[in-house]
Order: sequence, then C-alpha cells, then structure tokens
Amino acid sequence: MVASMLPAAAAAPRSATLERIMSDYQAVASSLPDAPLTRDARLHAMRELSRLGWPKASDEQWRYTNLRAFEAVATFGPAALARPPAAAPAPATLPAPATLSVPELPPVLSGFERLVYIDGVRHPGTAGATADLAANDWPAEQRLGLLCEMFASDVAALRIRGHAAIEVLFLTSAAATGASCYPRLQVALEPGSELQLVERHLGAPEAPTLVCANIEVELGRGSRLMHYRLQQCGLQTAFADTLYARLAEESSYSVRQVTIGAACARTSAQVRLAGRGAALSWQGIAVGRGQQVHDTALKVEHLAAGTRTEEVFRGIADERARIAFGGDIHVAASAPGSDTRQSLRGLIEGAGAEVDLRPRLQIDTDEVKAQHGATTGALDENLMFYLLARGIDRDSARALLKWAFLGDVLRAIELPEVRRAAEHGAAGQLPDIMAIGALTGALT
Amino acid sequence: MTGIVDSAGPADSAALLDIRDLHVNVAGQQVLRGISLAIGAGEVHAIMGPNGSGKSTLAHVLAGRPGYQIVSGSVSFEGRDLLALAPEQRARAGLFLGFQYPVEIPGVNNAYLLKAALNAARRERALAELDAFEFLAMVRAKIKLMQIDESFLSRGVNEGFSGGEKKRNEILQMLVLEPKLALLDETDSGLDIDALKVVANGINTLRGAQHAIVLVTHYQRMLDYVVPDYVHVLARGRIVRSGDRTLALELEKRGYDWVSGQAAA
Repeated sequence: MVASMLPAAAAAPRSATLERIMSDYQAVASSLPDAPLTRDARLHAMRELSRLGWPKASDEQWRYTNLRAFEAVATFGPAALARPPAAAPAPATLPAPATLSVPELPPVLSGFERLVYIDGVRHPGTAGATADLAANDWPAEQRLGLLCEMFASDVAALRIRGHAAIEVLFLTSAAATGASCYPRLQVALEPGSELQLVERHLGAPEAPTLVCANIEVELGRGSRLMHYRLQQCGLQTAFADTLYARLAEESSYSVRQVTIGAACARTSAQVRLAGRGAALSWQGIAVGRGQQVHDTALKVEHLAAGTRTEEVFRGIADERARIAFGGDIHVAASAPGSDTRQSLRGLIEGAGAEVDLRPRLQIDTDEVKAQHGATTGALDENLMFYLLARGIDRDSARALLKWAFLGDVLRAIELPEVRRAAEHGAAGQLPDIMAIGALTGALT
Repeated sequence: MTGIVDSAGPADSAALLDIRDLHVNVAGQQVLRGISLAIGAGEVHAIMGPNGSGKSTLAHVLAGRPGYQIVSGSVSFEGRDLLALAPEQRARAGLFLGFQYPVEIPGVNNAYLLKAALNAARRERALAELDAFEFLAMVRAKIKLMQIDESFLSRGVNEGFSGGEKKRNEILQMLVLEPKLALLDETDSGLDIDALKVVANGINTLRGAQHAIVLVTHYQRMLDYVVPDYVHVLARGRIVRSGDRTLALELEKRGYDWVSGQAAA
C-alpha cells in the first residue's frame, strides 16, 4: 500500500486529486524504470507531495493558476515510458512526422544540435544524453516538480564543457491525448562554458492532457547560459513547468520566455544567485486569449555579494484570458552590493480579461540598488490618438500598440530564428495583428 | 473670401475649412466660446494667444481628439461635416495634426508608421499603394530636407528622440502625407534657432496652392520664417482680433495683455 509508506504525522488531508495521483502511481509503479530516477527518489517525491498536499486555489502561491485544468486530465500516468537504448545505430533523421502523429517539426536551427522528446521520452532516432544531476527538493510553490519526479521516465541531460548550441523539442503526440507527459531537462555548465539552449514545447492533443516538465540548471563559475523557452502547446493542454537554477560565481543566466499556448500554463521558477557576481536576466512575455490562464511565479534569491537581477515581463490578456506574474526577489544579508531591476507590465484588452502582477522585494542587507515597477492597464489613449491622427484605422492601431507593448522582450531575443518563431507565435495570439498586411514586414 | 467671417453670416463655400460659431467644453468648462474661421486652400494662418486661450484645444478638436464636448457650432472640411468623422477619417481626408508633444512608440518603427499612414491616405484618394522601393525613394529625399539621419527609419517612433528631433519628425510626416490642411500645434516650441530654420524650411516646402497651413503658436519668431497670410489672436476661447503679419509684430511689442483686455471687455 502506498499509504503505509507515508509518515502519518506529516500527511495533510488528501484531496481527491491527490488520491488519484497516488492511485495512478500505484498502477504504473512497477513499469517505471529505475533510471534516471530511482524508485527511492520517486517515493521521496511522492511523500513530499503528500505532505504538501495538492495545491488549492486558496493558497496565495497558486490562486492565479487554473488548477481545475490540471485536475481534468483522465490519468496522471505517463503516456509513454522510456525504452532501453536501441542496440542498432540511430538513424540520421526522424521518421516523417505524420507517422508519429506529432506536430510538424519547426525548421532546424542552423548550428544547433537537435534533441527530440516525444511525450517526455527521447525519440530513439535522435541523439540523447545521460542524467547526472541529483533529484531536487522542490519547495511548496514548486510542488508540481514532485509530480514530474514521480512519473518521469527519461531526461534530456546536458553537461557542457566548452561552447555548445542545443535545441530540445518536447512534443506531445496524439497518443498522449488524455494522459500525462513528463519532460525533464537538466543542464550543467562546467566552469567557463557557454551554451545557447532552445527549449520548445509543442503539441495539440484533442482532449485534456497534462504536460508537467522539470528543468534543472547548474551553472559553474564564469559560465554563460542563454536559455530560450517557447511554450506553444495546444489549447487542450494543461502545462506546468518547474525550473530550478543555481548560479555559481560570475556566471550568467539569461532566460527569454514566451508563453502563448495551453489552456492553463503555470511556470514555477526558482533562481539562486549563489556565487559572487552571478547575474540573471529573465525576460518573458505571455499572451492569452479566449479563456487561457498563464501564471508565472518566479522567485530569485540573491545569496552572494554583487549579484544582479534584471526581470522584465510583458503580458497581454485578451477576451477572457487571465495573465499573472509573481516576481519575488529576496536579497539576503550575505548579498551586499546587489542590483535588482524589475519591470512588470500588463495590458488588459478584453472586457472579461484580467492581469495580476505581484512584484515583491525583500532586502536584508545594505548597499543594494533596487528598481521595480509594475503597471497594468488598457492601451494608452494618447498613443491611440497619435496613430489615428495619422490615418491608421482603429483595429490596426490597437494591433500595432499591442505589438509594440511586447517589443522590449521580443527584441531581446537575439537568435533570429527563435525571435521569428516567438513573433509569429505572439502574432497568432493577436488576431488583428495579421490583419495589418504591412506588419508582416516586422515579422520577417 | 476667407479669413475671419462673421458668425451670423453665410458659410464660405470656397473655404477648405469653415468653422462656424464653435463652442466646446472640457469637463464642463467652456474652452472655446464661439470660434468662427474660414481657411482657403493655399493659405497660411497663424493662431496666436496666451497660454490657456484655447488655441491647442481648437487644433485637437479639429483633429478629433476624444474628451471634448462640442456644445454647438459646425465645422466643414471641403463641404463635409468634419465633426461627424472619426479622427482617422479626418486624417485620410487630408487633415494633419502636428503634435506639440509627439508621443514615443517603441516597437513601431518610423518607416512602418510612415508607410501605413501614407498608404491609408492613398487608398482614400483611390491611388495605388506605393511599394517598398517607391516609398523609400520618396521618403529619402524628405529625410534629407529635414536633416534627419536615415537610420531613424528603422528606429521606434520618436523613441529616444530629442525634442527637436520629434518636431522634425512631425514635419517629415507632414511632408510625406502632403495633407490639404496641416494644423501645427506649437511646432516651434522647444526648438533652438537652427532646428527652427529646418522645421520652417520643411513647412515652407509644403506651402502651395493645394495645401493650407495653420500655425498654432505662442511666439511670433516662427512667423519670421513662415510668413502667414493671416494672423488671429485667441483669448478666452474667442478670436479677438484678426489681421495680417503686422498683427503678430504688434503683439510681440505690446504683449497679450493688450488683446486679452479687449476680450474681457
């Protein structure tokens, strides 16, 4: 019995969802591989999740997430299980997408090595990598990371020495419809190394499907990671990604995150600036329409002297969508001379739309530079009038201004192919953008 | 005949713009209190007045800015009821407002705005849209005239521009759009003498039989470079005096108190 493995004193009252998770785990436990996660690690994750309980809408950390979307999946059991590595040499190319029932693959990025994971499991036709980071202890606001650790059977694990450029595609296939996928990505950069990493989630299942991803990042001294994150899942997807990053001395972590897909998407990220002079630049956009919910909870901890954070978020909620961003920055007593800048902006476009921005700054030391601002509102009427007074029609003016609103972050995507993918993805979320024929000039 | 008309008289059918007894409120306060003015094609009018006299309000009401309540009166533009048109329709019909404080729109580049605005106006006139090559060739000559660096085309609208650059950009837009009526709201404010000459040169380039220009200004120094056919003085929401160029010079000498006193009388 699963229940007997749990410390009774610590267990919270179980919700029906937690009961289902436990029961689904029991059903597949014997099929789950012992590597990269051992059975003990899975049981540890299960105990932790049981202790913390399934999140509730009344929890401050989860109140903006549409938990019902996660609870609606038919089974938490994984849609696919990793197979042992094939003895035969891997084919040079993937079989045609149609035979896999996966979304059309985006063009290969020039100079990048591509890894493909389907339903959380490495496609046997592509290169793979071995796991080598220890399992994480996910805190309460990142507890969906525990769910992934219970069920994941594979991992894209990258240990980089020197310079590299890698694209990891996580695809949800038609076979995963109604079930759950657990992608995992681990990235470790040796001291002085550099990596350009593109992490992209794609797939359009036809019934509620859970994609629950864990991303762990370990940056060695003086290393640099540029991490592009594109979430473009279909509207039947409940998407959760849990990210933990630890930065050593003088390392630099840049994240460019584009959230446009899924019925409900929740990013729970924690970045620890553990070494002196470590720097984080997190720039993200989220564009929601219909009844989409995009919720990001980013927690940054300055633990060492001279650490820096730049945090930029732009969210547009159209129609009845809800966009939330919680930016929690803590500067510890051990981090004098730190510098934090936070700029959060939300645009409410629909009558039933909602944007919730929550900047939080806690400083426990002196000599800290801190700038932060959060504004939410409708389009600026002065800007509107300026465009109208130039003869631009009202719909096009609105579209242009929405586009301009996202501009800071889109322009910060240095890789042209990724910027184009992000621009096209964002434009697809703003139906009137495409109505401006000439704007396609800005999209090329 | 154009110039000032009596509010009780018949509409001037030859006028490009015909304002008749226009009363406008803002937040319940009377701001324009019976403006009548006719402007013919090819004419240059200067509207002067002290701060708060209503001259910028007049320009914005004509361009269709929201937030103003038209209490009474009429405005026709080429015989059409201007007040019934949306701001973008007014612009496409050939009315241009040069802003006193041009806004910055990072993320929308100047080239795109210019091209979109020009093609909207050309569609209205049943002219073919310019392709990218024709557009660039046309814009380049005007950029040179306004002494703007060509790299500005790929920058965001007024993004990081100095006050003078913003005003030059307004005049560049005017030259690209070739409006029938340009309302230039304090385009001279904040300009040093060199920038003023460049801006004035741009305005004079538009001057011609097909284009009327209204200069809204506080000071007469702009009028040394763009010599108006008519000068009107606005005080407390009314035109209190009209004349030719010499009126501006007299104002410079005697100050606005001279006419404001007459308005109060």
